[in-house]
Amino acid sequence: MKLTERLSSRLSLFLAVMGPGIVTAFADNDAGGIATYAAAGAKYGYDLLFIMFISTICLVVAQEMSARTGAVTGKGLSDIIREQYGVKWTLFAMAVLIIANMGTTASEFSGIATSFEIFGISRYISVPIVALVIWILVLKYDYGKIEKIFFVLCLTFFSYVISGVIVDPPWETVLKASITPVFSWDADFLLMAIGVIGTTITPWGQFYVQASIVDKGITIADYKYTRWDVLIGSFFTWLVAFFIIVATAATLFANGISIETAGDAALALAPLAGKYASMLFSFGLLGASMLAAFILPLSTAYAVCEAFGFEHGVSKSYKEAPVFFGLYTVLIVAGAGIVLWPGLSLYTIMLLSQVVNGVLLPPILIFMVLIASDKYLMGKHANSKWYNVIAWIFTFALIVLTILLLLASLMPDFIPSLIG
Amino acid sequence: MQKQMKRFYLSQLIGRRIRDSEGEKVGTVKDIAILWDGNIPKITGIRYSKDLDKLISADKVAIWDKNGVTLSQTGGVLNPTNIRPKELYVGKWLLDKQIIDLKGSKLVRVNDILLSCTGSDAFIVAADIGLRGLLRRIGLEFLSKRLENHYILWQSITPTDSRTGSLQLDVDKEELNKLHPADIADFVEEMDYNSQAAFVRSLDAEQAADALAEMEIDTQVGIISQLTGEHASDLLEELPPDEAADILSEMPEEKSAELLQLMEDEEADEVKKLMQYEGDTAGGLMTTEYIDMPVSLTVEQAIERLRELAPEAETIYYLYIVDEADKLLGVLSLRELIISGPNNTLGNLMHTKLITVHYEDGHRKIAERMQKYSLLALPVVDEHGMMLGIITVDDVLDILMPERSTEDAWAIYLNKHAGRNGGSK
Repeated sequence: MKLTERLSSRLSLFLAVMGPGIVTAFADNDAGGIATYAAAGAKYGYDLLFIMFISTICLVVAQEMSARTGAVTGKGLSDIIREQYGVKWTLFAMAVLIIANMGTTASEFSGIATSFEIFGISRYISVPIVALVIWILVLKYDYGKIEKIFFVLCLTFFSYVISGVIVDPPWETVLKASITPVFSWDADFLLMAIGVIGTTITPWGQFYVQASIVDKGITIADYKYTRWDVLIGSFFTWLVAFFIIVATAATLFANGISIETAGDAALALAPLAGKYASMLFSFGLLGASMLAAFILPLSTAYAVCEAFGFEHGVSKSYKEAPVFFGLYTVLIVAGAGIVLWPGLSLYTIMLLSQVVNGVLLPPILIFMVLIASDKYLMGKHANSKWYNVIAWIFTFALIVLTILLLLASLMPDFIPSLIG
Repeated sequence: MQKQMKRFYLSQLIGRRIRDSEGEKVGTVKDIAILWDGNIPKITGIRYSKDLDKLISADKVAIWDKNGVTLSQTGGVLNPTNIRPKELYVGKWLLDKQIIDLKGSKLVRVNDILLSCTGSDAFIVAADIGLRGLLRRIGLEFLSKRLENHYILWQSITPTDSRTGSLQLDVDKEELNKLHPADIADFVEEMDYNSQAAFVRSLDAEQAADALAEMEIDTQVGIISQLTGEHASDLLEELPPDEAADILSEMPEEKSAELLQLMEDEEADEVKKLMQYEGDTAGGLMTTEYIDMPVSLTVEQAIERLRELAPEAETIYYLYIVDEADKLLGVLSLRELIISGPNNTLGNLMHTKLITVHYEDGHRKIAERMQKYSLLALPVVDEHGMMLGIITVDDVLDILMPERSTEDAWAIYLNKHAGRNGGSK
């Protein structure tokens, strides 16, 4: 009796603390994520599984650091950057965050446009309407409730897992590929690699996970549960991404079909859903895009206003918090505006925004590692030495990849000539 | 020599050169140290190198200026002093941190710090919390020449960072008393959880309990769990028992049992009783601090009794008349009591058509009854008509209109002339 009681109280505590890590993980597999994984599978087969595997480990490390910092300090990432590094560095970090998030918001709207286009609704109708609906709903309703609806829609992506099992790929090859490093100096490959990392670990995800830990009032005493939250969330990110790559590799890459639009990624669901594949895909895409489109502009506005000490909060009036509402509105309008720009392919927007995220990630990571290893701030919960080594290796690896990408795209002949 | 007063900002001073009396450079200003002891904070030293402990004493400064500092001696840094326990680095401790703006009763961020110097002495005058200070920090002040500076004078600076060395949170309790506890609750809720507990620790028990009672349940639980058992139980005793019960039922069982153990028996018993009821029922919402009187009392005696009981009671507008077994017999309003003859008995005056709720009733039913019969409080009874407690209208309002609900904010947003948030700028 005593034991079950204790177990149930543990369980309820666990459930109370659960959430930030899992929601962030699901929102990570957003429109841009799906597009990137699908493109990776269709273009390079199983080659990128290894990079996906590594970037999941790094996701765990990064999310764990942010979550721990939030639990120890009770402060958001932008708050701490401001308090530790002053106004100029904060301005830099916030500029990075705004640019990255504007790109990601655009990619969410591309996802929304794509899912409506599958049903034959033009983006010039769907995008403005959805943008307005999001703008109003976030300000008017408790978005925690709305979040649950989109969360359920996101579960649709588990259909990739089923589909991946049904196509029955050569498992031995798949597993071998997951742990075999594959690399190429080709700019397209580098682009894809940075895209995969950039969509898995995002600047906004780090800010968001820390902010929701603080918001939920999770303290270091409850932290052991949050660590599980982060681990489970990251596992699901990997699971879905892994099977999207496997499913697209087995169906599209194997048959030499390249992806032209995000809708093509739905073909990989055909083994499961047959002619309903597109429909299934579009529901999932809509859920994931909406989930992120709700979170992104709002959390960006919060982070920026907190850092600079501007009034913020959805409960304030426009007159009280002009910067907050202004920034929130600009992010939505700009995100939707980019998608409506004539002649831009939705698919390109999705892929490019993930690369932008990947390129802008290192500066944020550097701040995070410095903060999480600061003994003054974190006390005995500061990063251990080995933890720091992993975190720095990853950060520098990403910087090197970014530089390689720049070189490879600016001077395609440079690197091959370098390695002879 | 006439002393000239100069004013400039910390952001202008940091990074400037320190020269000796012959103009030789001896270092740059990295940070300045002050004494924070209730008097006007005098600058006591300058950190001039990467070494966090070494200072040039302010005694050796001849001229403070926004273009740099000139020492009164030659030959480089002579005998740097170590920072003393009472000294604080302004740049590390105050700049960019959050402080409490008591006038606006909210948290604000320190964008810059205004210094003033007369002769060779320099002081902190105010914290700059305005946009202009922010722009100055990034070298764009020229954009904001028309903006006014927004200062908090040093007397009103209430820091929230308590973890800096030996510094105790220095809260001006008299200033705080001018604020409504609900306003205090608002800015405490904005703080991070470490600061919340530190802030509540620095208040006296009554102030702390008043403010705590106005906070959201999550914040209450967070604060109580961080205090020492003794302090927490003292606070819980000060709180209305229904609030204390709500907080304790949200905490892990072991912890709440421990706190109940530490509380005075009488208070603990009441709280325990309340904790048996489900949260969203009349039992969970009610308080046991109501006014009950025996049926035989005269009006005069009743008024006398009321004087004794009133300070503890949640509301005194209704007198509940009960028998020895606490069975509810009737109710009488304060107004009716006062306008009646002094020798009349309560039994004669009371209404016996009772409007009550059962302890398992939900908040909708309670609200409906209150609204239908226009009552400020409702008695809560069990199946046998035994009086258990009362629910006041504000308890119900809290549920029906959660504080700062977004719907509410939306209404304000649409109706720009709704002067409900008056007082802001």
